[in-house]
Amino acid sequence: MKANLFGKKIAFYVLIIVVWQGIDSAEIWPDNIFPSPIEVGEDLLYGISDGSLFYGIATSMWRLVIGLSIAIGGGVLLGIFMARVETVNQTIGSLVLGLQSIPSVAWVPLAILWFGLSDSGIIFVTAIGAIFAVTINTYTGVKNIDPSFIEAARNMGAKGSQLVTTILIPAAFPYMISGFKQGWAFAWRGVIGAELLFSFLGLGFLLNVGRQLNDVSQVIAMMLVIMGIGILIDGFVFKKLEDKVMTKWGLR
Amino acid sequence: MGKIEAKNIIKYFQHDGKPLKAIGGVNLTVNDGEFVCIVGPSGCGKSTFLRILAGLEKPDDGEVLLDGKKLVNTGPDRIMVFQEGALFPWLTVQDNVEYGLKVAGIPENERHDISKRYLDMMQLSQFANSYTYQLSTGMKQRVAIARALVMDPDVLLMDEPFAALDSQTRDLLLVEMQMIWQKTKKTIIFVTHNVPEAAVLGSRVAIFSHRPSVVKKSLDIDYKRPRVTEDENLGKFEKEILAALRHQGPK
Repeated sequence: MKANLFGKKIAFYVLIIVVWQGIDSAEIWPDNIFPSPIEVGEDLLYGISDGSLFYGIATSMWRLVIGLSIAIGGGVLLGIFMARVETVNQTIGSLVLGLQSIPSVAWVPLAILWFGLSDSGIIFVTAIGAIFAVTINTYTGVKNIDPSFIEAARNMGAKGSQLVTTILIPAAFPYMISGFKQGWAFAWRGVIGAELLFSFLGLGFLLNVGRQLNDVSQVIAMMLVIMGIGILIDGFVFKKLEDKVMTKWGLR
Repeated sequence: MGKIEAKNIIKYFQHDGKPLKAIGGVNLTVNDGEFVCIVGPSGCGKSTFLRILAGLEKPDDGEVLLDGKKLVNTGPDRIMVFQEGALFPWLTVQDNVEYGLKVAGIPENERHDISKRYLDMMQLSQFANSYTYQLSTGMKQRVAIARALVMDPDVLLMDEPFAALDSQTRDLLLVEMQMIWQKTKKTIIFVTHNVPEAAVLGSRVAIFSHRPSVVKKSLDIDYKRPRVTEDENLGKFEKEILAALRHQGPK
């Protein structure tokens, strides 16, 4: 079954490349508009051989990890507060909903003014793009906790931070995972978008360099790398984490 | 010690925005080591009364004393066993049982010793590393009882813990519950709507009236243990309970 599924996927991507090569061979568009898969592959190889690709990936990933960590830490905290303190929910809660509707890249001008063209600015954009998704999911998760869990824990003597770490967080964790997944997706978009506009290293920067040099195969190569990393992190980090949590919590 | 006194407990519910008197002045004293069952018509507030004893809800009037001291909050001296068990699905059976000990800061090896004793007692040892979704309803309630007992509370409060069980499992647990009580000599207050269950378990049965509820009758059940539900000699106690429940006035 599994091998079969894998085979199907491989066949599909091979087909895409073949069709792509076919269209290129028909020479409908010039090469500087529509590169062949081989040109894109060469570009990737070039990036690998001179190390610039790895440096770009590492830079973007580093910013992503820091930004997402801030978003997860802050979002979980804020979400728990909103769920447990009615006044916080009534005040900050409405603001969170509003802020979530702002696309990450719309924070870039403010980030440049506040932080200059720096890592901090990009990390700010990454974190702020992801934090509200984490907040809202954590809030929903904590709100949906079976009240008897909290009562049982209080009855057995848990209070304050103990209640948060031993009950609220683990009980809301299945919801929080969805928040992390959404947060990661927003953070990844945020980091690439910010790098495009900041033009300060990273994959988004390399993408922009491709455009500036009129190097369409580099543009497409970078887009493929961005997508590839997305698939890897989604499939290996978050899917695995989600499966593990859902099984352990008895939700599947 | 575990003498618990409820004095003139009054509690209102909100019903369609209007206050509705649910508990209308319950007085109940349960002596140390007594096993008291509370029965009453549904909606009479017997579960709420238990939650007030546990300190999970506040009465609108009246007070609860434990060994003469007024209680204001919830605490591990009165452990509640919830209707659905309220077991934590993210923890193994053993970690569930040890939860309260961990919160109290008891070191790990000491925790394991204590939990092992109660896991053995509740015949759960082979499930120590299972998660709760892997257990049957009856097993879950055993875990919930073990989790309460490890806290060594003065009073054990049980809110219809066997309501969701099939009758075979329930009969088994009814006998075990009596043995636990005899072995641990705990004060137990057990809410149920099941009259035979009350007659089997209780050394005394307190019958609540329809709301606003008061203790309508308190019936001592002086009969040898362990009792079983099919024992016909319990029939006369059951009849007395049923008669008291039936005379509820014009409601």
